Amino acid sequence: MGLFTQGIEISCSPAGVPERLHWQGQDYAVSAEPVRWFERRSWWAEEQRAQRGSGRGLVDHEIWRVQARGVEDGQHRTFDLSRHQRSKRWRMIRVHEALREAA
Amino acid sequence: MSGFVHLDVASAFSPHYGVNRPDVLAAAAAADGQPALACTDRDGLYGVVKHLKACRENGIAAIFGVNLAVLADGGAATAGGGRRRAPGKPGGEVEGRVTVLAHGHDGGAGYSALCQLVSAAHAGDGRVGVTRDQIARAAGEQGVLTVLVGPESDVGRASLSRDGVRQRALLQRWIRCLPAGSVAVEAVTHLNAPGAYLSTSHAARMVRAGRAAGVSTVLTNAVRYAGPDGAATADVLDAVRALTPLRDLGQVSAPGTPGGWQPNGQGWLKDGSAMEQIARDVAYAAGDGAEAAADLLRDTEAVAAACMLDPAGDTGWGMPVVPEAGVIGITGAPDRELALRCEAGIDRLYGREAAVVAGSAAEARLRERLGTELDVISDLGYASYFLTVAEVSKMITRLGVRNAARGSGASSLVNYLVGISHVDPLRHDLVFERFLSRNRTTLPDIDIDVESAERHRVYREIFARFGSERVTLMSMQNAYRARGAVRDAGLALGMEADGLDDIAKQLWRFSASNFREALAEKPELARLSEQVSSHRQLDLLVDLTERLDRLPRHISMHPCGVILSDTSLLRRTPVQPSGLELPMSQFDKHDMDPMGMLKLDVLGVRMQSAMAHAVSEVRRIHGSGEQAAAAGDYLQDRRAPDFVQADGTIELERIPFDDESTFELIRSTHTLGCFQIESPGQRELIGKLAPREFNDLIIDISLFRPGPMQSNMVKPYLENRHGFAPEVYPHPDLREALAETHGVTVFHEQILRILNVMTGCDYAEADVFRRLLGSTTHEPRVEAYFREHAAGRGYSPAVVDEVWQTLQAFGSFGFCKAHGAAFAVPTYQSAWLKTHHPEAFLAGLWEHDPGMYPKRLLVSEARRLGIPILPMDVNASDTSYRVERCDDGTLGIRLALTGVYGVSSREVARLRSGQPYSTLSDVRERSGLKRASLERFAALGAFDSLQDGRGNRADLVLHFQRRPVRALPASRRPFPGQQPLPLPDLEREMLQTGASAPSRDESVRTELDLLAVDVSGHLMDSHAPLLRRLGTTPASELLGLRNGTEVLVAGVRVATQTPPMRGGRRVVFISVDDGTGCVDCTFFHEAQQRSGPFLFGTRLLLMHGITRRTGPRGISVQALQAWDLADTASLPGPGHLASADRARNAPRQQGGTASGNGVPQRLDVHTEAEGLDNRVAPK
Repeated sequence: MGLFTQGIEISCSPAGVPERLHWQGQDYAVSAEPVRWFERRSWWAEEQRAQRGSGRGLVDHEIWRVQARGVEDGQHRTFDLSRHQRSKRWRMIRVHEALREAA
Repeated sequence: MSGFVHLDVASAFSPHYGVNRPDVLAAAAAADGQPALACTDRDGLYGVVKHLKACRENGIAAIFGVNLAVLADGGAATAGGGRRRAPGKPGGEVEGRVTVLAHGHDGGAGYSALCQLVSAAHAGDGRVGVTRDQIARAAGEQGVLTVLVGPESDVGRASLSRDGVRQRALLQRWIRCLPAGSVAVEAVTHLNAPGAYLSTSHAARMVRAGRAAGVSTVLTNAVRYAGPDGAATADVLDAVRALTPLRDLGQVSAPGTPGGWQPNGQGWLKDGSAMEQIARDVAYAAGDGAEAAADLLRDTEAVAAACMLDPAGDTGWGMPVVPEAGVIGITGAPDRELALRCEAGIDRLYGREAAVVAGSAAEARLRERLGTELDVISDLGYASYFLTVAEVSKMITRLGVRNAARGSGASSLVNYLVGISHVDPLRHDLVFERFLSRNRTTLPDIDIDVESAERHRVYREIFARFGSERVTLMSMQNAYRARGAVRDAGLALGMEADGLDDIAKQLWRFSASNFREALAEKPELARLSEQVSSHRQLDLLVDLTERLDRLPRHISMHPCGVILSDTSLLRRTPVQPSGLELPMSQFDKHDMDPMGMLKLDVLGVRMQSAMAHAVSEVRRIHGSGEQAAAAGDYLQDRRAPDFVQADGTIELERIPFDDESTFELIRSTHTLGCFQIESPGQRELIGKLAPREFNDLIIDISLFRPGPMQSNMVKPYLENRHGFAPEVYPHPDLREALAETHGVTVFHEQILRILNVMTGCDYAEADVFRRLLGSTTHEPRVEAYFREHAAGRGYSPAVVDEVWQTLQAFGSFGFCKAHGAAFAVPTYQSAWLKTHHPEAFLAGLWEHDPGMYPKRLLVSEARRLGIPILPMDVNASDTSYRVERCDDGTLGIRLALTGVYGVSSREVARLRSGQPYSTLSDVRERSGLKRASLERFAALGAFDSLQDGRGNRADLVLHFQRRPVRALPASRRPFPGQQPLPLPDLEREMLQTGASAPSRDESVRTELDLLAVDVSGHLMDSHAPLLRRLGTTPASELLGLRNGTEVLVAGVRVATQTPPMRGGRRVVFISVDDGTGCVDCTFFHEAQQRSGPFLFGTRLLLMHGITRRTGPRGISVQALQAWDLADTASLPGPGHLASADRARNAPRQQGGTASGNGVPQRLDVHTEAEGLDNRVAPK
């Protein structure tokens, strides 16, 4: 498993669920129901302010674990993506070992 | 429209856990269209009354519950026969936590079971929690409680460790133990990482367990805050609860352990559609489909429906409950009994007065008033309430404890006649309707002041008299204020405690929510403010401090509230230990009225204790009425007056209210120590007002309130009173109502009279209108009514306009005259004692420390009065301050053995019981004093008399330091009081002499260190050369100076006040004592800017300012700048008053203000008030 902070392009369904990814020059199609959870952040170390009314996304960020298949190499990969709750921008935080699927 | 109901919601009344108050949560639920909301605070029902009120206001149903720790069943103790045991020591380990909900619409069965369960949870020693067995017992056979077994329970923990077998077994145990249908499984997901605590899979496993067991399974969100924004606050609270910085919290309790740090920020009151989505996610994860999601939601709704409360039927909402007639010793109808007791009161109180001759006008007035009051009381059904309170006052009086009613209760003739209050409402023109009327259906408030030192005894007697099933103490919620909020926010951020303390100390006066504004404005915070802008962590500190501000922090015993009720009390309120070994309710004063609870405020008033001490010292030292009266100079025809008993006991309740010498003392403004009139501002006002009679005192006390001060009622009153300005009445009809205050509206009672005269409404209606004044929503209605009816009665538009302006401006600020009258009684009594028995009065003040000033100022006052202060002496001193006759016949005050730093009260008691001591060895052998204590007493000169001229204090201290103390073994110690053999004092003989005697300055230093009082000299004495060089003016000489003289003054700080200003800039008042008296200094904005950090931190001050005459006998200083006298390097040099760089008043923009010299008169802005007085603790 490697750690990344690269940009990634995601397109989502109307309900906000990732459907397609573009990463390292390749398009990926989501191949299984993604799993979503919220993970805490070290906001007291990362943020400048924490005033009342700062709203959502100070304490945790949204993580999506997405299994997707590269349209070119046909490989399945599992990506952990984070979506910044305020800017709605996506960031890739992990990519798990590529899963080789038998044929 | 969503039907979802949140069943697991912690409000801010879960200390260090919940984030939002019930009103915020209820409003959020209602806004989302949720039909009901639960309040399930941790360990108590602290928030439920506020929750019910908020739910009613938001039009949704309320559900009550509690989140409790479950203790393991204590094996044999709880099995079978164990059921009879008191629930004192149930159980062992904490197994987890569950939420218990009360069923509703069952005649209160569910609610009262919940109350009793919560009380039981607190009845153990130390740990708060219940066993499964206790829950089963509380739920009863009918099963009036529902237990939510959720993620924090033993079942939830087993499910987290994926131990399915154990999970099922534990759930079965719950089902087996509790009445059928009482268990519901609670599934929660905070969308944590898969598999972790509060993850969707965790919830899914709970759902599967519930379905497998065939019990109802509900979905909640284990709510801790109303919206996502509260998550950060919850993080901080978690850190504070664990006393661990946020950055380390992960190591102490990994995110995701039950009861530990919240795993993420998802615990808010999510809206119904979000919860429905979560239900679908959980059902999906549980491997079921849409049907399972619907089941989950349906079960949740069903539990909610069973638990929605009927406010009146279940909790007795709004229905007053008073003790049963039998308990207060009456058999007949309470109305009749009350009438009979009033008749007896008329005989007792008016019997001797000619005023109550049958057929006289006075008698008719009395009868009419009594009739009105009794009718109202009878209509409201409150007779037993009055009889109960009367019973309490009678009981306190029988205990020999001084007591007096305070507050609007003094408006009632019934209260006066049955002995609750000591103020005659007819004589002082007090309006009954201000206290009680048919338009006020809440139980009236009667407060009883008692001697503070006897307060706990009084409580215990009330419990004994009414029975512990009918009585409990009231509690209060202590909320975060700035100082605590800074400390705890800093703790969460992991900041250094030292730096934090510095910041916290600076914040002693503002609320944390104004922290940022305070930083920008207050000169003493300027340095901190710079740091904040340069320092990210401080920025966060400010943000978190503001988040914590005002959150309830812990519950404690209310300082005076006692709840009296019938035997249903403990089914209507949960109770917990109070620290006094008497139980206290979990409800606070705001909860009393809605819950129909009769609260009696029994306030401990130190002044009452001080006066009681003074009275007993007068009796002890004089021994007879004649002697006392002779010493106090109030013999009448060479005999003691009526109010002094033969043994010299003064009955303060009976002293005449027209004692000229007492008023002379009051007018002299030397009122230090007198109740209510000792603060710098009050002394200034009293000097200007120059009271001549009791009613003047009532007016003085009523004027000295924030309202009258802020709305500038004082100046016109004083001008009219002294005839500088003609009295003006808007209309001749109002002359009667306003004459006593020379046309200025001061009292609530006057507002009622004005409304009565001009609109024809009765006093009861008028009081309703008065309460609406100042409310933005209701005031227009009052105005419309007033204008219409006043015009209808022929008052001209100009008069109506003018009066309305008065009502509008003063109505909400005025003071209730009954309050003033009730306060004026102890004010007068204390002034009387100070006039006639100053030494006994000062001894009382010393003993009980009732005032706003440090004790050392009383030494100055004694000095001023020529009363000798007798030093501490091992034989002559007692455990309290005593009046002692000196050899020359004058009366002095002997310092007590108490109050020595580091000496325990037990040591003092033993020292006292061994008196008298003949020799130093005798002290050493019998007193049992530790060596350090011996040294301290020696340094204070307590053994001077035993040293008898050999060596000095320093020698003796060294002596004690050298020789190890070897007290006699207990078997050989004489019994207390037994005389030792008259042997020569070997110890004294052995004393090595030759140490240099302490100088007077050193002695003073020692006294300050050990006693916080400088007796042998004044703290300022040692600064005399410096002050001479600087050219300061002593306090005693200020009065001789012209108004507007520039001076330097110096002294020890004795008081600092920063009254809140309406719309204006802050003004700081600092009083210092220089040994010749007090100087009161006022700092306006510019002076504050110039003085910066010295305003609050420093003890010894040098101040430059301008004299301001405040009355014939009063003078104060308008300060321009202050320095720390101890920091000699920073002080200005000699000749500062002639220096060109000295500070000066900025020229005013609008020349020629009313006061003529361009500087506001102090009283125009001075708004200190009761409760705002702030004692400065010397460091």
